[in-house]
Amino acid sequence: MADSDDIKERARRALDRPSVFGDDLDLSEYRVEETEERRLDVKELTDEDRMLLEEVGFDVGQRSVAGSFMQFDNESVLADVMIKQEGLEVLPTRRALEKYDWLEDYLWRAVPVDADKYTALSELHGYDGYFIRAEEGAKIEMPVQTCLVIKKGRSIQNVHNIVIAEQGAELHIVTGCATPSHVERALHLGISEFYVKRDARLTFTMVHKWNEAVDVRPRTGVMVDTNGVYVSSYAILSPVKSLQTYPKVHLVGRNARADLYTVVYGTGTSKYDVGGLLSLEARGTRGKVISRTIATDQSQIIARGELQGRVNGVRARLECNGLLLSDSAGIRAVPILDASAEGVELSHEATVGKVGADQLNYLMSRGLTEDEATSLIVRGFMHLKAPDLPPRLQKAIDDAVRMTLEKGL
Amino acid sequence: MSTPEPLMQIMGLRVEVRGVPILRGVDMEFERGKVYAVLGPNASGKSTLAKTVMGLPEYEVKGGDILFEGDSILDKSITERARMGIAYAFQTPPTIPGVTLEEFICRICPEYLCRTSEDYLMAEQCTCRKELYDDFDRLGIGNLAGRDLNDGFSGGEMKRSELFQVLSMRPKIMFLDEPDSGLDYDSLKIVGRELRAIREEKSTTMVVISHHRYILEFLEVDKVYILQNGRVVYTGDMSVIPELEEKGYERFLAETAATT
Ligand SMILES: Nc1ncnc2c1ncn2[C@@H]1O[C@H](COP(=O)(O)OP(=O)(O)OP(=O)(O)O)[C@@H](O)[C@H]1O
Ligand SMILES: [Mg+2]
Repeated sequence: MADSDDIKERARRALDRPSVFGDDLDLSEYRVEETEERRLDVKELTDEDRMLLEEVGFDVGQRSVAGSFMQFDNESVLADVMIKQEGLEVLPTRRALEKYDWLEDYLWRAVPVDADKYTALSELHGYDGYFIRAEEGAKIEMPVQTCLVIKKGRSIQNVHNIVIAEQGAELHIVTGCATPSHVERALHLGISEFYVKRDARLTFTMVHKWNEAVDVRPRTGVMVDTNGVYVSSYAILSPVKSLQTYPKVHLVGRNARADLYTVVYGTGTSKYDVGGLLSLEARGTRGKVISRTIATDQSQIIARGELQGRVNGVRARLECNGLLLSDSAGIRAVPILDASAEGVELSHEATVGKVGADQLNYLMSRGLTEDEATSLIVRGFMHLKAPDLPPRLQKAIDDAVRMTLEKGL
Repeated sequence: MSTPEPLMQIMGLRVEVRGVPILRGVDMEFERGKVYAVLGPNASGKSTLAKTVMGLPEYEVKGGDILFEGDSILDKSITERARMGIAYAFQTPPTIPGVTLEEFICRICPEYLCRTSEDYLMAEQCTCRKELYDDFDRLGIGNLAGRDLNDGFSGGEMKRSELFQVLSMRPKIMFLDEPDSGLDYDSLKIVGRELRAIREEKSTTMVVISHHRYILEFLEVDKVYILQNGRVVYTGDMSVIPELEEKGYERFLAETAATT
């Protein structure tokens, strides 16, 4: 394992390295604030904060969650684990690093610190974030909820999350990121490193609500071990200045599996560059990368997906489907299949189009107006069935989609 | 003598699809509560007629008129026509991914009350769930309730799903485009019984497009129109059906033309 001086050095060398995808941001335009830890009771939340949290599905009452974590700007605020759940730990990352020496080994392993200027900046300017761990064999059935809120303008929210599902564990995380609409110009930098050990299951559900002034650069890496399962569902339904994310999932153990679902509802002049990469590195690994994108107004969406088959006997599928609802919007689907071994089975389907006249006429002939028919078709299009997701979390996504469409169309 | 005004009158209707004439002057009348058969060889224009009545945009009316309850509907949108009480069960409906049949039925049926509540209803909020599922079961398609609209439905399932949707709208007139094609014996009985019950209520005018004798005789259609090459070439009662079946359109129409 590289020591921390070496990591710092690698980060420094990468500070000017632009990301492969997405607009190159000038990081000197933002303030990087000191992170601090402060405990806050959910009861102290203002009404505005409460509403914001609820919009991204955060259960402020914490009735049916296993644990909660909130972070406002760079102040991390830990709401206590309400339902005492055996085998679950939720801590701010920095505190976890102080508590556990071994955690160093997980830092910058799934995401390289010198990937680009964002990872570099994150390392060099001090971060916080959440550390969530399900111990060996622990089945945490209720979701752990996390929420990251940006309230200060011209700033960078710098988050580094580490999630570990130990051998045989089951863990569901639902996370919402939010910004009130009055915040001007901010950058959310989120490093997430997920480790799914042998026979473990991790689901990660994200519902995000940014605004037109926020640039978002998550950097996510996932390692899935033998028989492990990782499922992520990512819904971005609000405008954003720009979002560029390209999680990389490494299926490193035999029969490991990962499904990545992305739903984008593009509005305003937002630019979204989304997708994911699945690297199938061990025999019997399989997975899906599925995206449904809707572009309205002048939004621009790039939906990427990449499957890399590295050994014999792996199978994966890619679907990028886009629906264009405006003449000034754009969608580009970029599917990549990359096989470097015999017996690799990779497939893809990519479509971009507008709402079909046949579908519209059909629904209208049953008495729906054109707008009603359109929104029903769009909602159906955005409905992603993720069979591995607990019904409650599937519903959280469905509800978010429904709310967006009620407002949007 | 004053006869009651027909529910729908089609007068001298000429229709083109992408510049190609399909209907070349069609006259028909449909009275309230009666059952009609529209027959004719493949490609004679039967589906075109129904789709034009429904107002589908690729069917361009070049002449003539369609009156519904006395007024022309030519400038009405599809939605307006549907809401006036005109319904069409498609011969080949499109798939609507992500929208389940049960929630869609709830959405379009005025009697499943959730329709009025909001645009985005959920089947689980339906106040008439029991009635809904009874109806599903009566049509023998309970298994389709939670499936996406027309997604992978078998031919026979598609027909019954179309019928269920159209019936749910409580229309005044419905055009059923081959409601009996692709049905097995049992399904045919189910559909027949369903339509028969509606006939007896006399609340809905039925226009059945079909190629088969069974359903027409079972329903005891009041009047038969035969279309050929975009024109009505025969109008009569259902006594012609056995002869038609025996001779086929070509001989039947040649002989009737010779005798008139
Ligand atoms: N949307 C369309 N585009 C092009 N041609 C069409 C379209 N709709 C109908 N037609 C043509 O119009 C003619 C009549 O078609 P229609 O579907 O009305 O026939 P039909 O009498 O219903 O036949 P069938 O018994 O086979 O269902 C056919 O030649 C058909 O190809
Ligand atoms: Mg037809």
